[in-house]
Amino acid sequence: MLRSAYWLASLLAPQPPERPTPVTASVARELDVLGFGAIRLVAASALLVGLITIFQAAYQLAPYGAEVVSARALAWFVAREIGPIVVAILVVARSAAAIAGEFASMAANGEIDALRVMGLDPVKYLVVPKLAALLIALPTLTAIAIMLAVIGGWLGMSVILGYNTGLFLEYMHESLAARDVGVGLAKSVLFASIIGIVAADEGLRVERRVSAIGAAATRSVVYCLLGVLGADTAVNAFVYFIPGLT
Amino acid sequence: MTGDSGGTTPNAVAATALGVDDVTGPRGAPLLRHVSLSVPRGGSHVVLGPMHSGKSTLLRLVLGLDRAESGRVTIDGSTFDAAHATEDQLRQVRRRVGVVFDSSALVSRLTLLENVTLPLAEHMTVGADQARATATGLLHDVGVSGDLERTPDKLTRLDRRRAALARALVLEPAVLLVDEPGNGLDPHAAAELDETMQTLHERYRCGILICSQEVRYAFHWPSAVSVLANGRIVEQGSLDDLLNSRHEAVRRFVDRRGAA
Repeated sequence: MLRSAYWLASLLAPQPPERPTPVTASVARELDVLGFGAIRLVAASALLVGLITIFQAAYQLAPYGAEVVSARALAWFVAREIGPIVVAILVVARSAAAIAGEFASMAANGEIDALRVMGLDPVKYLVVPKLAALLIALPTLTAIAIMLAVIGGWLGMSVILGYNTGLFLEYMHESLAARDVGVGLAKSVLFASIIGIVAADEGLRVERRVSAIGAAATRSVVYCLLGVLGADTAVNAFVYFIPGLT
Repeated sequence: MTGDSGGTTPNAVAATALGVDDVTGPRGAPLLRHVSLSVPRGGSHVVLGPMHSGKSTLLRLVLGLDRAESGRVTIDGSTFDAAHATEDQLRQVRRRVGVVFDSSALVSRLTLLENVTLPLAEHMTVGADQARATATGLLHDVGVSGDLERTPDKLTRLDRRRAALARALVLEPAVLLVDEPGNGLDPHAAAELDETMQTLHERYRCGILICSQEVRYAFHWPSAVSVLANGRIVEQGSLDDLLNSRHEAVRRFVDRRGAA
């Protein structure tokens, strides 16, 4: 973890333009795969989650004649909880197994040994580009997910349940604080670190056997999910118990 | 002639590209026992042995990828304890070694050109243009042509092996370690690769250690030959020593493979 942090920091140091590090090029490549590649999945899921949240909230609040207040619940939950957690789970499902499988396959093929023999740190050349890409991609995808979940909520509220759009926007404006979005984005940074480090660790620590690849991929998904949910619980407990943050 | 030739006197060390001195390992489950051999600067040494005789393990112990139980390794004049070398020591000596693994082990997520420029980018203070020019020239020398921006999975097995050879030579190592060069290649391709290795060996004047189960490498690289069986060197010397050996394991190995 410390080596990852060190190499990540070194990426931020100025580099002579005539001698760019191959790591920088790899970050762009990983961003394309881990970030852009996930946009459609995240967008569709966020839209549906927004709709589901509105339907559930409206159903629960209907007996009190307070269906319209569902917009408040949506704003609060989407920014702080649903946005970052849904994106993290989707990225775990889509990429954690792929990262661990790729590294395990490289280990089985002798590629990790080849890097070590050449004096190249596998953490710098393999882990850091993926970690940097996740640290950029997850907050971005979370912001997109929050936006689309709100749009999904609006679709449910206005188009399907027939409430006034102006009222929806008013509740949204009242409830969706910049601080909520900030908490959500901060969580996504934490989740990105967990996914990147756990998946890479599971992939790199396997023995040089082809049969170990599948097991590493499965373990990485399980541990990433537990890590993300555990971290989310800890952050919620931490934020909840500090006056002024809730 | 059985036994070791791995002396580490100052003169011997200075003339040695690679010296393996009484190495036993890996730690915990030793597969190799008391192995000694040397590769002179500009010379060659072929280690022959059937599958699972310990050839790849020998390379891993030399490179410090697996820890030995005991023994010493000398690379380009620097000697380290194969059982207790630190990562820093290993990093220093590995820079003077080029390795062609039996699987080629090109980094699958990088292009051909990036694979060869990577060691230059890490270890040399050369600009990107110069690194690309060096890598392109070397890939041309080993016989890889066409689009150099391809990833390794789009190459033939022979081209992958050639590219791995280019990567191993890019830092002009003191010694080149080649594991099963003919592995998975048809006889024609294997002969072509062998020819390329010989040409580049003459040009770079590095020592070369070839580990193979094909006895023909002993004929093509006749400087010195060792035969491994059950983790021990059972024969070591010249090609004539090998051919005249009465050791049962050597005879069985040479007779079976030599006719091919």
